[in-house]
Amino acid sequence: MATQAHSLSYAGCNFLRQRLVLSTLSGRPVKIRKIRARDDNPGLRDFEASFIRLLDKITNGSRIEINQTGTTLYYQPGLLYGGSVEHDCSVLRGIGYYLESLLCLAPFMKHPLRIVLRGVTNDQVDPSVDVLKATALPILKQFGIDGESLELKIVRRGMPPGGGGEVIFSCPIRKVLKPIQLTDPGKIKRIRGCRYSVRVSPQMANRIVDSARSILNKFIPDIYIYTDHMKGVNSGKSPGFGLSLVAETTNGTFLSAELTSNPQGQGAAVLPEDLGRNCAKLLLEEIYRGGCVDSTNQSLALLFMTLGQQDVSKVLLGPLSPYTIEFLRHLKSFFQIMFKIETKPCGEELKGGDKVLMTCVGIGFSNLSKTLK
Amino acid sequence: METKDQKKHRKKNSGPKAEKKKKRHLQDLQLGDEEDARKRNPKAFAVQSAVRMARSFHRNRTQDLKTKKHHIPVVDRTPLEPPPIVVVVMGPPKVGKSTLIQCLIRNFTRQKLTEIRGPVTIVSGKKRRLTIIECGCDINMMIDLAKVADLVLMLIDASFGFEMETFEFLNICQVHGFPKIMGVLTHLDSFKYNKQLKKAKKRLKHRFWTEVYPGAKLFYLSGMVHGEYQNQEIHNLGRFITVMKFRPLTWQTSHPYILADRMEDLTNPEDIRTNAKCDRKVSLYGYLRGAHMKNKSQIHMPGVGDFAVSDISFLPDPCALPEQQKKRCLNEKEKLVYAPLSGVGGVLYDKDAVYVDLGGSHGFQESDEARPTHELVQSLISTHSTIDAKMASSRVTLFSDSKPLGSEDIDNQGLWMPKEEKQVDLKTGRVRRKAIFGGEEDESGDSDPEDDEEMSEGDRLENSSSDETEEEEDAEVTGKVYIADKGAKRQRLEMEEDTEIDLPAFADSDDDLERSSEDEGEVEEADESSEEEGSSAGERDILDSEALEKGSKHSNGLSDRLNLEKKMKKAALTTSDSGHCTAEEAFASEDESEGNSSLSTEEMDSENEALIRKKFPKPSQVVSGQKQGSESLTDETSDIEDLLKEEEEYKEASNYSTETSGALKWKEDLSRKAAEAFLRQQQATPNLQKLIYGTVTEDNEEDDDAREELGGLFRVSQPARECKYKADSLDCSRFHLDVPHDWDLEEVMNSIRDCFVTGKWEEDKDAAKILAEDEELYGDFEDLETGDVHKGKSSLDTQTEDVEEEVKEEIDSSAEESAKKKHLDKKRKLKEMFDAEYDEGESTYFDDLKGEMHKQAQLNRAEFEDQDDEARVQYEGFRPGMYVRIEIENVPCEFVLNFDPHYPIILGGLGNSEGSVGYVQMRLKKHRWYKKILKSRDPIIFSVGWRRFQTIPLYYIEDHNGRQRLLKYTPQHMHCGAAFWGPITPQGTGFLAVQFVDGTTPDFQIAATGIVLDLDKSIKIVKKLKLTGFPYKIFKNTSFIKGMFNSALEVAKFEGAVIRTVSGIRGQIKKALRAPEGAFRATFEDKLLMSDIVFMRTWYPVSIPAFYNPVTSLLKPVGEKDTWSGMRTTGQLRLANRVKLKPNKDSLYKLIVRQKKHFNSLHIPKALQKALPFKNKPKTQAKAGKIPKDRQRPAVIREPHERKVLALLDALSTVHRQKMRKAKEQRHLHNKEHFKAKQKEEEEKLKRQKDLRKKLFRIQGQKEKRNQKSSLKGPTEQLK
Repeated sequence: MATQAHSLSYAGCNFLRQRLVLSTLSGRPVKIRKIRARDDNPGLRDFEASFIRLLDKITNGSRIEINQTGTTLYYQPGLLYGGSVEHDCSVLRGIGYYLESLLCLAPFMKHPLRIVLRGVTNDQVDPSVDVLKATALPILKQFGIDGESLELKIVRRGMPPGGGGEVIFSCPIRKVLKPIQLTDPGKIKRIRGCRYSVRVSPQMANRIVDSARSILNKFIPDIYIYTDHMKGVNSGKSPGFGLSLVAETTNGTFLSAELTSNPQGQGAAVLPEDLGRNCAKLLLEEIYRGGCVDSTNQSLALLFMTLGQQDVSKVLLGPLSPYTIEFLRHLKSFFQIMFKIETKPCGEELKGGDKVLMTCVGIGFSNLSKTLK
Repeated sequence: METKDQKKHRKKNSGPKAEKKKKRHLQDLQLGDEEDARKRNPKAFAVQSAVRMARSFHRNRTQDLKTKKHHIPVVDRTPLEPPPIVVVVMGPPKVGKSTLIQCLIRNFTRQKLTEIRGPVTIVSGKKRRLTIIECGCDINMMIDLAKVADLVLMLIDASFGFEMETFEFLNICQVHGFPKIMGVLTHLDSFKYNKQLKKAKKRLKHRFWTEVYPGAKLFYLSGMVHGEYQNQEIHNLGRFITVMKFRPLTWQTSHPYILADRMEDLTNPEDIRTNAKCDRKVSLYGYLRGAHMKNKSQIHMPGVGDFAVSDISFLPDPCALPEQQKKRCLNEKEKLVYAPLSGVGGVLYDKDAVYVDLGGSHGFQESDEARPTHELVQSLISTHSTIDAKMASSRVTLFSDSKPLGSEDIDNQGLWMPKEEKQVDLKTGRVRRKAIFGGEEDESGDSDPEDDEEMSEGDRLENSSSDETEEEEDAEVTGKVYIADKGAKRQRLEMEEDTEIDLPAFADSDDDLERSSEDEGEVEEADESSEEEGSSAGERDILDSEALEKGSKHSNGLSDRLNLEKKMKKAALTTSDSGHCTAEEAFASEDESEGNSSLSTEEMDSENEALIRKKFPKPSQVVSGQKQGSESLTDETSDIEDLLKEEEEYKEASNYSTETSGALKWKEDLSRKAAEAFLRQQQATPNLQKLIYGTVTEDNEEDDDAREELGGLFRVSQPARECKYKADSLDCSRFHLDVPHDWDLEEVMNSIRDCFVTGKWEEDKDAAKILAEDEELYGDFEDLETGDVHKGKSSLDTQTEDVEEEVKEEIDSSAEESAKKKHLDKKRKLKEMFDAEYDEGESTYFDDLKGEMHKQAQLNRAEFEDQDDEARVQYEGFRPGMYVRIEIENVPCEFVLNFDPHYPIILGGLGNSEGSVGYVQMRLKKHRWYKKILKSRDPIIFSVGWRRFQTIPLYYIEDHNGRQRLLKYTPQHMHCGAAFWGPITPQGTGFLAVQFVDGTTPDFQIAATGIVLDLDKSIKIVKKLKLTGFPYKIFKNTSFIKGMFNSALEVAKFEGAVIRTVSGIRGQIKKALRAPEGAFRATFEDKLLMSDIVFMRTWYPVSIPAFYNPVTSLLKPVGEKDTWSGMRTTGQLRLANRVKLKPNKDSLYKLIVRQKKHFNSLHIPKALQKALPFKNKPKTQAKAGKIPKDRQRPAVIREPHERKVLALLDALSTVHRQKMRKAKEQRHLHNKEHFKAKQKEEEEKLKRQKDLRKKLFRIQGQKEKRNQKSSLKGPTEQLK
């Protein structure tokens, strides 16, 4: 009898997405216990439940068991199905929360995924849709997932706490991924950005720009920050504004930073000037960290390296984020893959902090869902 | 005469000479310098029509053929040291397979193997090894071996011709990737006549070609000499095999696999005793092939089932390729054979015993360097009983008056247990590491070594406070000892020889002697290996220093110890060490020193002599201090006892490690290499790896300072603790900063200045620099012939000095170097330019792709090249070509009990989620040679991927609209779909199906072949279901239909559905009716008849039976392995139980009895009749009515005379008629006779004529003959 691969067991709700995504890709069932077991409000939160529902929508044959209190979750993955899907995300987390996982799964579906996500497009916790569009999609392209059907479109903007945003994400499918060798990030040739404001005066967005430019202009003159003021039905349910900045290098690396105003009714009001300045500083921080992949998408790049052919892939990263470190551990337990990690000290050059060179041999993953015609 | 006859010279007007002259003439006239018409008249050759151009392009087909030759380039992933090539020798029985194998082995190795069982690995050349295996006629074996074969030697009995097995095997090969196939014709000596032989050869060859490919190699073994094939022929065959090239096969290159050549049962004998049928733990050995294999991965053993690898480790190559050398051929020592199942390589497997053959074949006689095979044997000898058994049985007395301790006692302590998972996690290196410290390391997890280090560091500090600097030094040295020891600990055989690594030599050197002395003191251990001793010696040295410290301030030390004990969970290592130390020192310190000293006299190099001398004064010092310590310790005995128990247990464990890894000769300079690699990487990788993965693959002892280095960079320090801490925190991928830089500061801003294009560029990328360089390179050059120096304008002043120097030939070394470099640069640039100029046109997409692949292949090779195997294995997995040992648990006992070495044991690695089951859809075609068609829902055996299994498929065909319609039977000569529930196998994998594997079918066995198309967790195959109903009330176009449904609800579900009558009138269901349940109203395009049947076509999804039954043929008893039978088909069951099929009566064919149909007469309405034209009007004659009386003719009554006259006339006419008839008959007869006579006459005439003609012809012929004769003889006759 073909025994199901023995399941993995974890405790705690942290890194839930990683675990479920890796479980889906590797086909190994996962059991997560003690989800907020000691919390006053134990069990899975709304946004996690919504995430699990989303997984159920895009897969076929998954088995999900949650106990009564919601503190234990058993997930036996099915095959990724894809197709046209709509999903209402929880407003507790941004769409980025869901989108990050979808980015990992979308290339391995049976039918190309075209999904409409509704919820909060920009919030303070998760990477916003703008940033993912600017940074994650180029990474996908590096691995050979490209074509015109790779698209991420913001139809409506929604800010917390009301939400009301809408995003369309579509991604082509691939049987195998290309190995990458990204060891030289190149030099930053331009900085682009997007300031957005919904249900507030458009003047707010304009005030952001000058302060941001005042800092960035010291480094490079090629800066352009687009304005995106959404009105009416496209502006979601809550007011807010923010800025996202993306630095593009000569070698096609994208580094990003973003900042959003406090949600309505939570925290003090944020001055647009401060926001712009702080966001610019965040971008500089990101540049200081450097690498060929920005800190948010490290795990995405590492995952695709793992899922590549049985060839050596290399990528130069900035310091690994805690999320990435945990992700590496998970990669090891799900795929038995270990990365060779070499620290590249910054040395004499004025190129920011230490970098890390990650090397691995892909596991020879192939998309088992894709139909052969 | 002669002079007069001289011919006049004539100019040549045609031929090459004349042409040449003409051309020259034209050239002289400056006319025909363009001989090419294309050039002379380009317009005439211009492309007029693209279509025609394309056609002409394709017509000569060069481009087509060229393109056809291209394969999609793949990355070359063959390892540098590839595994032996699997040569499968296949053929029907009695064809000479074993003889061929024996001859081949003898040819390559000059050894004779009497009995061959299982695979035989031989070194066939400097760069090639072969694994030869015989394949019988069991279809299971054929299927398995076709999947792992690189080369198939297909033996064919030429005197008999092809047999079915050959074709079956060919087809199996074809499905599973088609390895190289070479035919070998045997029994050629049975042909008596040469012509017959030639004919047979040709016939067989052509048949073989049609099956394999035209031109496939076919070998002829002409005959036997003394029961063996002729040497020369075998030699040629061997040559062919050794130079053969192989194409990578998709399945094999994407999956790791092992053809096991050795099997061991590791189950605890006690378990077997208690339950003979318990699941076994088995270790299998073999060369890893195909792809990289990861630990803990899923594997499938064809014929047994799916398993998870519980452990995998690599061993030294038992049949290694010779080291690189310049010689052309191998010497005798390098011609190795390795076939443990056949008893070569030292081990012979019988049914329930293992025989170890020491000596004999020179394959492992190279004792001078202790070949690995030899070690393997050694290790095998010592692995007769398993570790568990030893663990369980060993008892230890710690103190003279205490009762002996067994493993169960230790278990009860509950202090620590080697966690199963951890041990598994830690891989081979970790297990062995235990040889120094003990299982505690495992338990306490990843943080241990550093803690340990810290502890000892602390100890050292204390030590130094006790103002004995010498001791401190010593402690440090010992620390090193233990590190180096770790590096070298696996090299069991090194201990005597290795003089370079002095410290391990010391550590290893306390052997039996010392042990015996130690034993009387405290421990009674049956088999302590020297390695472990070494490690303990190392410990002791560390502990000596500790003991000293205790001596000086023992109360302090004691409290310290107690503290340590509290910290047990984290740092059991040190504490246990100290425990060990105290106990040992307390009870056997003298002994030990004795032992050590005796040792030191015994064997020591000049190098470590000094070292040991330095050390040995110490124990005597220790003793004094130690005794105090021990006294003070007596009250703490209970605590220490615990520690000691641990220690003992650890020692037991270490036995295991030494035994499993003991025989590892390994690469001699592994430790050196590792050290080098480590040094190289130490700066680069300060244990980031450890931070993330918990363990570092390289030596991970020195890490505490590295941590500080990375403090700013990495935040997660203690994975376990951190995890717990973070278990329920926010799940967010953003990397927030705790302490952001102050970007207002100038220096902070400067730190990223170069990240921008506005910043400083690297040397090789700075535009200005590159420009200058180019100028430098191309601007000036030196004409080497004349010695002239041409200088570039821009770099004039900079270059002059150089040039002058050159001219003067006063070149200092640096200048020369730079000049050389410059020259090289120049060359390179020129080459680049040349390439760009000439290669651009040539480089196609294909070339680019190939180049890319090549680059990737080089990168793959280079990336981990400098790493030692231990580390490499962690990153890449075990790479193909390694000789590995795989441990598998929960193997059915039958596998071991019914082990038959003749059957191949294959461990096929499975990819991700290939271990799970789901619905598999494939394209299938019944094999054209299979006699029957296949029926849906009949169980059938598939061979897909590594697996052979029985399942119940459903056959379907896809309609034009994508609907998958169930088929009852497979089509005869067409592809159809098949879907079954079974293991998920990647798309594009070929498969074959057989109905039975028990060898009962006399015909061709392969029922179907095909390819996997799709995998899913659900499936939709439908079959047609027609619902019928009858009208019971008919209006104009509306009818009421009943009998189709049973309830109104059912009708509601089908409202709007299309229905049809048998006569073809289409309609639609409208609404349910109340009256008869299930009736409904429907509208049609025409009025129905009451006799019409209304039906609705629906599609009903069928479910696929979830039946998956692996063919466990290897579990069958020996000799019955080819008799596996699974689920039987209904047909078979019916046959076996003699149940006759009761067919549905309605389905029976019977004679069609048609009732006579009575049609009503045609009735045309009057109105219509009236309107019809006369032509079409029914012509109905009014029935003749009764003739009225007045019109009736009166009856005639004759007179008597008249009656007489009439009678006479009647008689006369009768007579006349008679006469006439008679005359006619007469005439007819006469005519007939006349005709006969005439015919006779004619015949005679013809005969006469024929005779005449015959005569005439004869005469004519004679005449002609005579003429001919005379003409032939002509001259001679004339002469006469």
